Amino acid sequence: MEFILSGLRTGFSLVAGGDAEVYSIVRLSLFVSIFATAVSVVIGVPLGALIAIKKFPLKKIVISLVNTGMGLPPVVVGLMAMLLLSRNGPLGFLGWLYTPAGMVLAQVIIATPVVTGLSLSAMQSLDRKFYLQMLTLGAGQWQAMWVCLREVKLSILAAVIAGFGSVISEVGAVMMVGGNIRHQTRVLTTATVMETHMGNFDNAIALGLILLGLTFLINMALTFIQQQKARAE
Amino acid sequence: MIKLKNLDFRLPSGFTLGIGSLEIREGEVFAIIGPNGAGKTTLLNIIALLQEAKPGAFELAGRDALLPSGRTALRRSMAYLFSRPYLVNDTVYANIALPLRFRGERDSGRVAEMLEVFKIAHLRDRNAHQLSQGERHRVSLARAFVTRPRLVLLDEPFSSLDARVKEAIIGDLRRITKAAGTTVVLVTQDQEEALALADRLAVLKDGRLLQQGEPQEIFARPVSKEVADFVGVETLINGEVTAKSDNLCSVRVAGGTLEVVSDREIGDKVLLCVRPEAVSISKAAAADSMRNHFRGRIISAEPWGLEYRLSIDCGFNLIAAVTKRSLDEMGLKPGGEVFASFKATAAHLIRR
Repeated sequence: MEFILSGLRTGFSLVAGGDAEVYSIVRLSLFVSIFATAVSVVIGVPLGALIAIKKFPLKKIVISLVNTGMGLPPVVVGLMAMLLLSRNGPLGFLGWLYTPAGMVLAQVIIATPVVTGLSLSAMQSLDRKFYLQMLTLGAGQWQAMWVCLREVKLSILAAVIAGFGSVISEVGAVMMVGGNIRHQTRVLTTATVMETHMGNFDNAIALGLILLGLTFLINMALTFIQQQKARAE
Repeated sequence: MIKLKNLDFRLPSGFTLGIGSLEIREGEVFAIIGPNGAGKTTLLNIIALLQEAKPGAFELAGRDALLPSGRTALRRSMAYLFSRPYLVNDTVYANIALPLRFRGERDSGRVAEMLEVFKIAHLRDRNAHQLSQGERHRVSLARAFVTRPRLVLLDEPFSSLDARVKEAIIGDLRRITKAAGTTVVLVTQDQEEALALADRLAVLKDGRLLQQGEPQEIFARPVSKEVADFVGVETLINGEVTAKSDNLCSVRVAGGTLEVVSDREIGDKVLLCVRPEAVSISKAAAADSMRNHFRGRIISAEPWGLEYRLSIDCGFNLIAAVTKRSLDEMGLKPGGEVFASFKATAAHLIRR
């Protein structure tokens, strides 16, 4: 029990004391996860909406693939991303292995199916005739889709929350692609794992608490926006 | 305005809509009537370029509508009202301004004009999702007319409204479309609605156009038993033309001989049709100009909207429409004897 309390004390002192290394880890964690979430939203929301709205052959199979992607094991994603980015891999020329850019790529692969799948299901909850009605009012395809997305914006925000949640707490992929290099690719999750392996439970608990706190704050902010909108409606 | 020729559309369920030839003229109100599952909405969706039919010809506002390019531009010359008004979760003003926004146009007072025309100015800043069903329909109509469409497509738009609201909205719609010379295509199952609005109509059943023409022509002179059934011709009697003088045919039926004005020929096997409201009922034999008189016994008297339907056994089964007042005044009851008559011009012969 004592070592847990000690961990809590250390955590607060690291945050309150403005430990430069911890702050750089926090900054990188937020940068990688927010950037990866943003990219996956840019790809996943329109993609999910298109799959929901369009009629095309093998649509059910495509939806099954997206749903499967929502549960991709992060270590497998990490392995794939590492192989892609390795010097002899097809994306080796980018030089992204063991860099934040590589970590963003891995997290985009994890978050995009989550955002796509939830956006798809949000759009499917809207009567398809709503989309057709917008077309008949003179909307182009993208204008009609935008109006539809606005109608289900609360569910789309839930997709964003889920996408962010899937990457901020992810460790396997960023560990394999980033390598947990101090001052370069070390993020909260990889640092927590490392400190635990080294027996520095105080630091591990401290980092874990910071991660938990950050996740809570960001999710609370998004939920607050979502609920404000829900009340307004 | 709209010309369709030899178009086929197949749904995944196997249902096929086949349009041989259909022309809707500029400025007319054209109704498409038919039972559920006839393909009415599919036909409207094809006209609205929401579904693609092939391989024939489809001309819309003078342009080839089968070409994949320019669909949005063509859609922008029309408005389509679904049976349920799909309004966005925003103010009434924002909903009505939406088509202008899609076109990148500014509201130069058009929205305010529509709010006045459809009597919803007091709802301008209310959220559309908080409105009553009738108000939602009015917003939907205002939104449809804000761009001054040349063509308006209506898919049973008033089916969920109560009679009073429906009548008021239909009145407004008729006034506005006539004033603007808008072409209207109305899909409905409600014959009264079709009669109230349509200049011409078409009967659709099982994906086939059975008859097109002016309402009076279709209601009085259906070309087949299917059309007759749908447009409310309730007396259908098998018979054979046995004599003809000028255009007056004598038709032998199970209970006697009837006289009908028709261009059928002697020897033709026919189905004789009489609308219920064309049959006159009295308690005594009347001396009038009608060519067909019968004495019969009432089999049943059933309420039918604001009227009653009498089923009379005259050797064949004749259906007549009477008001509640006539029913009471003449004491018409099942088992009672009555005299029924109809004009030779009130009946119609369909070749079997």
